[in-house]
Amino acid sequence: MNEVTSFLQLVVTAMVPFILAAQGTMIAGRAGVFNVAQEGLMMLGASVGFLVSLTFGGNLVGLVVAGLGGGLFGWFLGWVTTRFRLDQFVIGLALFFAAAGLASLLYKVVIGVTLQPPLIPTLDDLSVPGLSAIPLVGPVLFQQSAMVYFAFLLSGGLYWLLYKTNHGLKLRSVGENPKAADSLGVNVARTRIWCSAAGGALMALAGAYLPMTYTGTYTEGMVAGRGWLAIALAFFGGWRPQYILAGSAFFAGMEVLALRVQVGGLDVPHQFISMLPYVATLLVMMFALRWARIPAFLGRNYDRESRTSH
Amino acid sequence: MTENSSPGPRPLLHMDGIRKTFGPVVALDGVDLTVGRNEVHGLLGGNGAGKTTLMNVLYGLYRADEGIVTLDGQEVVIRDPRDAISHGIGMVHQNFLQVDTYSVTENIVLGTELPSWPSMDLKGQAERIAELSTRFGLSVDPLATVADLSVGLRQRVEILKALYRGAKVLVLDEPTTNLTPQEVDSLFGSLRAIVDEGMSVVFITHKIRETMAVCDTLTVMRDGRRVGTVARRGTTPTELAGLMVGDDAMVRRVTEVVTAGMAAPVGRGPTVDAYAAGDAPERVVVSGLLAHNDHGVPAADVSLSVRGGEIVGIAGVAGNGQVELAEALAGVRPTAAGSMSLDGRDLAGSPTATWLDGGVAYVPEDRHRDGILPSESIVENLVLGAQRGRRFRSGPFLDWRRARQHAESSIRAFSIKAPSASTPAAQLSGGNIQRIILARAFSHEPGFLILHNPTRGLDIPSTQFVYDRTRAAAASGTAVLLISEDLDELTNLCDRILVVYSGRIVGERRRGEYDQYELGHLMAGLEESA
Repeated sequence: MNEVTSFLQLVVTAMVPFILAAQGTMIAGRAGVFNVAQEGLMMLGASVGFLVSLTFGGNLVGLVVAGLGGGLFGWFLGWVTTRFRLDQFVIGLALFFAAAGLASLLYKVVIGVTLQPPLIPTLDDLSVPGLSAIPLVGPVLFQQSAMVYFAFLLSGGLYWLLYKTNHGLKLRSVGENPKAADSLGVNVARTRIWCSAAGGALMALAGAYLPMTYTGTYTEGMVAGRGWLAIALAFFGGWRPQYILAGSAFFAGMEVLALRVQVGGLDVPHQFISMLPYVATLLVMMFALRWARIPAFLGRNYDRESRTSH
Repeated sequence: MTENSSPGPRPLLHMDGIRKTFGPVVALDGVDLTVGRNEVHGLLGGNGAGKTTLMNVLYGLYRADEGIVTLDGQEVVIRDPRDAISHGIGMVHQNFLQVDTYSVTENIVLGTELPSWPSMDLKGQAERIAELSTRFGLSVDPLATVADLSVGLRQRVEILKALYRGAKVLVLDEPTTNLTPQEVDSLFGSLRAIVDEGMSVVFITHKIRETMAVCDTLTVMRDGRRVGTVARRGTTPTELAGLMVGDDAMVRRVTEVVTAGMAAPVGRGPTVDAYAAGDAPERVVVSGLLAHNDHGVPAADVSLSVRGGEIVGIAGVAGNGQVELAEALAGVRPTAAGSMSLDGRDLAGSPTATWLDGGVAYVPEDRHRDGILPSESIVENLVLGAQRGRRFRSGPFLDWRRARQHAESSIRAFSIKAPSASTPAAQLSGGNIQRIILARAFSHEPGFLILHNPTRGLDIPSTQFVYDRTRAAAASGTAVLLISEDLDELTNLCDRILVVYSGRIVGERRRGEYDQYELGHLMAGLEESA
């Protein structure tokens, strides 16, 4: 395998957490719920995914439980912001701290402090028969783990859901003009709660992917800002699944590039190289935000009997 | 129900004893409404009479405290808009409830149960919508994005929404606001077509002229109560005015408001008091004044002048640069180019304080947001803007005793209804808040008075009060600029009307030459035919 192929293969592998967390941000945001707990939910997903896989001896069950846990947090965010109309940003930050704390706590309770942390097997690569034999494209796209295929198919599925189905039409209207949606009988609160729950589940899955792909164990700080970058990616992708998928290649590319440059032994302090993805994000966002279209009611709660117009 | 014993066919809709309170405020106090089949039923009343609240109850947006709704003789319970739609009720709100980024078709099918597999058939629905458009004279491109449409076309989308759902009762809330006279005619034509196909229409308005033009039956409301139901053929504008206002002494004082535009339902306005202010000196001269909107895009670029004692009107559909123009002329929005002088003194580029001291007074469109400090008292709101001057000062401090005396005399002079001068402004009604703003504007003895939609949302006596005060200001030599979206108001008050479109003045008419259709033509951005 040549240099280019292996680089691209690593980029596709690294795209997955960005795709999942940013699509999760997107699906909640398109319904008007602005989740800012990504970083914490990814930590929780990583911790729970690792611990459950270790206990029950299978990655699938770890993924499922992590997803359910994240879904519960997302559901809670949707519920308190619709039922009690609490501030989305404040609740989101509170959930970030709660999830991050819970992640460490669970690990310490179950594993404790050890010199030799236990490991879980990482996800197997599944080669797609036939397609994986195509030069360049085959190894890059079709010799990957099941989660890679899931992330790509999910993006396609979300595109179809949002733009081709009646559910999508209703979902987007709740984030654009909930009063209009409500006046036509769309259930604003229910839509928001379920989108927020789905979003939380995807964020936790993004976290659970990390120990199952890279380290085989949970470590503090392993999420390394990917959750915050997912928020940037959602804006960068204009809150549209197809552009988020494309944008995740940029974010993942920067991540892999930074690693490569470090390994390559350039005579630059590695802190500067590690900074690369964040600096690039900052620069891109400065321009991306100029044209990015965001849902009109992103982060804003809706009150039917409020007599002030928006 | 009681209606069963009455002669004739069963009414389509009957609302009985509807009561709705918002905290201590009783918005509806046992209101009855009966709408027959195939009729345009006018719901007439001044602002705050409860018309919209009653219809929001019918549409499930508000939950009534008491009362029964009967449709086709069947009692129905309407908990939310979904229930209302399923019972065949459609409502066109005054602020359109549309998703700006959606196409016309998407806005119309939103909320229905169209199948999604393998994808939604929007093309088929677009054809159905086009067919409905033709049938009811509501032509609009089903594939256009609604954000790109004019107010008139967006209203058609709202009506089509209801028709698409098979509405039996269509409610329209003040549907003529912001329409040109041509668009109003076309709307009334469509309402006729809708009624002819077997539906009924409830038409909410505060304009007697409109009810006389399109309604078959009329229910008049006042202060949250129904005060009468009459057939159009059996009534007169004077009788309706009496019902709307209550006591006869008041009716005579407010005739001008309730009969706005009646003198000239079509064609030219009154010629008796033709343009007269022609030889007074020009007090305000604005030349090439350029103002940007909040996104930094040029939004108003005008030259105009106003003579002392003259009331000049700015007519136009909302969103054509009126806000930017008003704020630039009042000195609260920076001007990008041009000059504006009052009595020969150029003010452009100076801080707002200089404009105020120079004699510019401004009554903003959004009185709650831009006009008052909501949690401060009437006294403080009245001092606002004059706090630097000598009038309310004693040494380095504000002289609150004098400020309070000033407030108390203003409360009397402007008939502000308030428990005391220390009442926070936000606790007052819209009409009383507007009186505070006017009192403040007039206390400076302004040389130039800018009024932006000064009567929007006001009850009838307050509207008349604004008209009287505006005329009094002009009579004392003030140059008045009245920016309004209400053509009746403009033709009634102004000596001259300038029409604004896309931030530019596209036409001018003097008193005696007013023709609402001609003005409407200009407001729509069409070239002068001359």
